[in-house]
Amino acid sequence: MRSSGINQVRPRNKYELMIDLRRFGEPRLRGKYLFLSRIKSGRLRDLVDYLHWRLGGYYSTSIGVDERPLDGYFHVYHVFVLEEYGVYVLVDLIADPGHPVVESITPVVPAANWAEREIMDFIGVKFRGHPEPHRLILPDDWPENVYPLRKDYPYDDKLPTSDKIAKLVRESSPATWEPEAPGDHTVIPVGPYHPALHEPEYFELFVEGEKIVDARYKGFMVHRGIEKIAESRLSYNQVSFIAERICGICGFTHSTAYCQAVEEAAGIDVPERAEYIRSILLEIERIHSHFLWMGVAFHLLGYDTGFMIMWRLRESIMDLAEELTGSRKMYGANIVGGIRDKWDIRDDKAALIKRMLDEIREEYLKYIPKIISLEEIKKRTRGVGVLSRSDARKYSVLGPHARASGIKTDVRKYRPYAAYKYVNVEIPVLDDGDIYARMIVRHEEILASIDLIHRLLDNIPKTPLHADTSYIPERRHGIGCTEAPRGEDLHFVITGRDNKLYRWRPRAPTYNNLLSVPAMLRGEYLADAPIIIASIDPCFSCTDHVVVVDLRSGRRRPLRTRGVVGGR
Amino acid sequence: MKLYRRSLWVFHLNSGSCNGCDIEILNALAPRQDAERLGVKLVGSPRHADAILFTGPVTREALPSVVRAIQAVPEPKIVLAVGACACGGGIWHDSYCVLGGIQGLYRVLKSMGVAPPKTIYVPGCPPKPEAIIHGIMLARGLAGQRQARSEYFEEQGPAVKAEEDLHRLFHKCFPGRLPPKTARVEWGVTRY
Amino acid sequence: MNRIKVLLENLRRGVVTEQYPFKPIRVPERLRGKPVIDPDKCAGCGACVNACPPNALTMRDDKHSSMRFIVLFIGRCIYCGKCEEACPFGAIRLTREFELAAENREDLYQVVGLRLYHCPLCGEPFTTVRLIKRVVEALPEEQRAAATLCPRCRESVTAHYRSYARR
Repeated sequence: MRSSGINQVRPRNKYELMIDLRRFGEPRLRGKYLFLSRIKSGRLRDLVDYLHWRLGGYYSTSIGVDERPLDGYFHVYHVFVLEEYGVYVLVDLIADPGHPVVESITPVVPAANWAEREIMDFIGVKFRGHPEPHRLILPDDWPENVYPLRKDYPYDDKLPTSDKIAKLVRESSPATWEPEAPGDHTVIPVGPYHPALHEPEYFELFVEGEKIVDARYKGFMVHRGIEKIAESRLSYNQVSFIAERICGICGFTHSTAYCQAVEEAAGIDVPERAEYIRSILLEIERIHSHFLWMGVAFHLLGYDTGFMIMWRLRESIMDLAEELTGSRKMYGANIVGGIRDKWDIRDDKAALIKRMLDEIREEYLKYIPKIISLEEIKKRTRGVGVLSRSDARKYSVLGPHARASGIKTDVRKYRPYAAYKYVNVEIPVLDDGDIYARMIVRHEEILASIDLIHRLLDNIPKTPLHADTSYIPERRHGIGCTEAPRGEDLHFVITGRDNKLYRWRPRAPTYNNLLSVPAMLRGEYLADAPIIIASIDPCFSCTDHVVVVDLRSGRRRPLRTRGVVGGR
Repeated sequence: MKLYRRSLWVFHLNSGSCNGCDIEILNALAPRQDAERLGVKLVGSPRHADAILFTGPVTREALPSVVRAIQAVPEPKIVLAVGACACGGGIWHDSYCVLGGIQGLYRVLKSMGVAPPKTIYVPGCPPKPEAIIHGIMLARGLAGQRQARSEYFEEQGPAVKAEEDLHRLFHKCFPGRLPPKTARVEWGVTRY
Repeated sequence: MNRIKVLLENLRRGVVTEQYPFKPIRVPERLRGKPVIDPDKCAGCGACVNACPPNALTMRDDKHSSMRFIVLFIGRCIYCGKCEEACPFGAIRLTREFELAAENREDLYQVVGLRLYHCPLCGEPFTTVRLIKRVVEALPEEQRAAATLCPRCRESVTAHYRSYARR
């Protein structure tokens, strides 16, 4: 589908962009956000095509909001990131509560597939022209016409009763399990409990001999209803703790993104010192996450010595985090408007960080160059699981995964937040696109992060730790973006009254990266499948609270009741 | 307890946790803590396990698989509920799609006619690897429990006397002339 | 060759394993461990209950025994330290204790029961005796009597007297 505006001159800045977008609807510019409401009928897909494929922007996510208590409609916001113009375009669609149907954009931007299905599940807005309008997220036994993210649904409702659950468990006995294979291929189910996976996930690999023909992923085992709890029970400052518990590996980046989103919405200026401390903790988290990934990668490659070495080195980072924040994982430092008082990094702590990081770097450099030049590591990673640059663009992958495929992308550099505004961030980019490149990118990032922490510590200014947040206006939209260890992490908020959020939606990077997995798996050997899946550094608990991913555009299959218990 | 005194083979069962506890469990097996020196071995199948390291608040989606995995562990078995989510549901204890930790799971097991296995609670968010090792040692009867329920109830005598003193203070300052009990005012507005 | 170098490096590094269950470990000074309520300092105001994100702290008023119970369930606690920040009396704080494993769920509870205070006018219980006592002690002499009332009665009483002043 091509846009009609072929002869249009390309807008040069966000103001021209706003004027340009008048062709499609009513644009309204508020700082970094360009709202586009009242889309002219029949122009939605042209607009999306224009934004996603022509203006150099990319589709980020969609958010469904039940705004019936405010203006009587359901709203759907499609978020597009236009880095060149420095704006987020929010395409605002409204759906009548009596007949909640809006036009689907999935035919134009396939990446919107799951986000739209999520809205169908949670808000009950239907999408006209969606290729697979099936339920995906909620359990199969969830009653029809019950939409948990609608405002009239209580967050602590328990459906169904435990008797019904017991019946469900009995009915879904593994004896009835029988996978459907496309064509004559053999199906290898992996999960939900499997020695190679540490999270309950379900994969199906279709193989022909030793070669993988296709793959399917069904997740959503970890849906815990975070968004609803945050909107119903928790206050602004409590949500940062639940945001931290979206993921046990990259939690701090989620809570930072959340706080930034609220700060954006409320127009709060975070003091510089708090920004520096946030950045330092974020980098510490990145180092520990990359160490963890390296260890897991070596383990999956069959080099357990490397796994043990990486996890031993990682302990030093965990000790450092514990020294600074009092917990190995959940730093708990963020509140809206800055950092909590006790989490200040004073001079003695700064000296400690520097000393410990130097030790870690020294130790790390003793091992890693030797390990990654090992013949067995190279043989199993070079030219395996290749994702070409064009494929990476197509699936719009993020983070180190994209950087290993030659795409220069990093929120820290191109949309700087926290203290990355004040320092230069080096981003390693490689063109090979194979697992080895991903390993090297992460290796370089570890070293770059250690340098970055040193530079941040040298320049840490003396300002207060948190801003005044006594007034947070109602009904403001905000987007917070951070570079998680796995890529761009985006949080969208709408502020509400009574010290509570009206809507909060986090979108984790694995959500985008998982898409590229079947492209990498196709044609590879079965033995390489674990390392290929792990090479994107998947984090399912991050992804799962939002969406389920069906890698093939296959039929709907009630996979949940058919999973096998590991080691069967 | 005697049964578990020797090596304990554990199966790690994640019922929808955030990964924090899961990685701490792996940490406990990594070189620094090295739980394997204590005979703890992580096994890939519930059929081989003596104990379950249970994490997560039990999501609705994961429930059937979790129940089946627990049933697959041969008797006698022991469950270690690791982390705030497994022990008490954590921050999501009352969410619509969470059963609220291991207690919710046991309610389901009871309704199916299965007796809940012996359980050790290891709180923490996430618990330190050392705390997990302590839990395992407690399960094997090799370490003592450090926690005990603490209850404090204020003595009634002095409290009642203090209340009476306060009431006396009030009646001394406002003798007689009290407004009718029904008088209602809104904040900041005096209406007469 | 590199394989041997890694091996040598490991040998040089020596033993890294802690002797944990047999010897205690070093615990960092900032470690956020088990929260403990000091029942002598606690006044039962409920600030911690309000601040607690996972509802590990709960509050229940029992009118029959006229007691208020503050219940802390460590099993649900996420060790964020919000309660410590919120407590006006410094009654709850996070210790550095981390070996919290228990065989019995009941062992993870801390209960503080305080006597409820009844409003001298309407007789309704609304907070604890201890809190009112502390508030009264902290106030100047002339404001003390009004502080002994429940918020609703205080409104009506002050409005009543203000109307006298106006006449």
